[in-house]
Amino acid sequence: MCQTLEVFGALVMGYAQACLNLNIIAGKKVTNFLNEIQPTSWYPLSRWSELEKIVLQSYTNADAILTRVGMEMMFSWYNYGPGKGIINRGVDFLHFQTSSEGYASVIKGTSDQVGNFELKSINEDDGKAVVQSTTPFNRKMECGVLIGGMKAPGDLDYVDVVNNSNNSDIITIEFH
Amino acid sequence: MKLDEFLESRTPLLPGNFNLTHEELVKFFWKYKGLQLDFERNNTFWKATNENLTLAYKKLDEQEKELEHVYRLIQEDLNVAHGIQKALFPTFSREKNMPFELAFYNKQLDQVGGDYFDFFTTRQGYNAIGVFDISGHGVSAALIMAYLKSQFMLIMENLDSPREIIEHINNISLPFFKRIKRYVAVNLVVFMNNVISYLCAGGFGMLIHDGKIHTFKKNHNFLGLRKGSFSEYTLPVLHNDLLVLYTDGIVEAQDEFQNDYSVKRLNKLAYQHRNKRVSEILNICLQDYIAFRRYDQDDITLLILRF
Repeated sequence: MCQTLEVFGALVMGYAQACLNLNIIAGKKVTNFLNEIQPTSWYPLSRWSELEKIVLQSYTNADAILTRVGMEMMFSWYNYGPGKGIINRGVDFLHFQTSSEGYASVIKGTSDQVGNFELKSINEDDGKAVVQSTTPFNRKMECGVLIGGMKAPGDLDYVDVVNNSNNSDIITIEFH
Repeated sequence: MKLDEFLESRTPLLPGNFNLTHEELVKFFWKYKGLQLDFERNNTFWKATNENLTLAYKKLDEQEKELEHVYRLIQEDLNVAHGIQKALFPTFSREKNMPFELAFYNKQLDQVGGDYFDFFTTRQGYNAIGVFDISGHGVSAALIMAYLKSQFMLIMENLDSPREIIEHINNISLPFFKRIKRYVAVNLVVFMNNVISYLCAGGFGMLIHDGKIHTFKKNHNFLGLRKGSFSEYTLPVLHNDLLVLYTDGIVEAQDEFQNDYSVKRLNKLAYQHRNKRVSEILNICLQDYIAFRRYDQDDITLLILRF
């Protein structure tokens, strides 16, 4: 059975709103886009890709922008969304995001399509973690999500997230 | 003094008062490193944003140039269209043979428009004047005007009666007007011996005959609007009688309080000054209109004739 890959409305809205907040995309186009999205509905991944395409086409160095969008999304999620009730510490976000309530709860499709966002290792004392991501999302944006989510509670002074190549599934995190 | 207190103080304290534990020193280190990282991230983000802005401005410049080019082409085209439309208006060699003194004003709202007047000769050699107001403005109205002129040129020399002329053109043009969803207000006057025969369908006309005002009776139909018959009327004319023909551009214009200029005001003004030369009457009416209206809202045509 062929199943379409779908993303949760709240996630699409969060992404569009972050772009709007950062003035990355402006005007009628994104406002109309936001008006069409219902937070509790599911949308084909192509809706998400429409926005991502605009960013990628507009910027010569889109990596820094997508990272910032990811950070802004999580900042809003924590401060204006449900984040505060879900996580207390920066590290909690790592566990949350890699659990069934995190990434897995906002995307649906076949396992091949959805991919994984898996916490491969974590050492809280050393402040090191490794995540393997095989999701269809942009890795730089995912790095931003991790930075934003882990910094949002305010207990961490330092969060560095490195993904050396966009093709790489491995994301290394250092936090203190 | 603890690290947090130290960081919150407004000025750094003397080293002697500063007791930093190893743990606090580590925290301080990571705090510093974290700020450095934030600074680098912000720098990268703003650099990318600035690059994008530069690119966006460059694109805007290119688009502006392109728009300027297209605008210039449109303007050139409109200037040519304006010249063509002007050439479609009557030359006044024919007017010289007409038994009246004439003054007129015609202004299209855009470079080209839908107000039009013309002189014709009927089958029996009577002079005639038509004043037309095509619904809408601009290029489309001007195209319809060209169509209309050709229709009138084809038929005028075969008929004499305004009713027959308009009904004939209405019958053959109705499918065309229906298709383009336009219609034409028309005022056609045929000058016979000591009589004028007129058909007013949506236009405005007034004859001051022997010192009295005779407002044109209107048909409840427009040219190109629907099938049906039109009515024509006759009025006697004497030497010195004044005929005023116009479209709705003047009388429906509004002042800043949204009051219409009105037919009554224009007719009254023309009547008050009926003994002046037609060019003076025209000028008085136009000055009054210009002082009244906030801005032109439509094409304008005003013709004043003295028999």
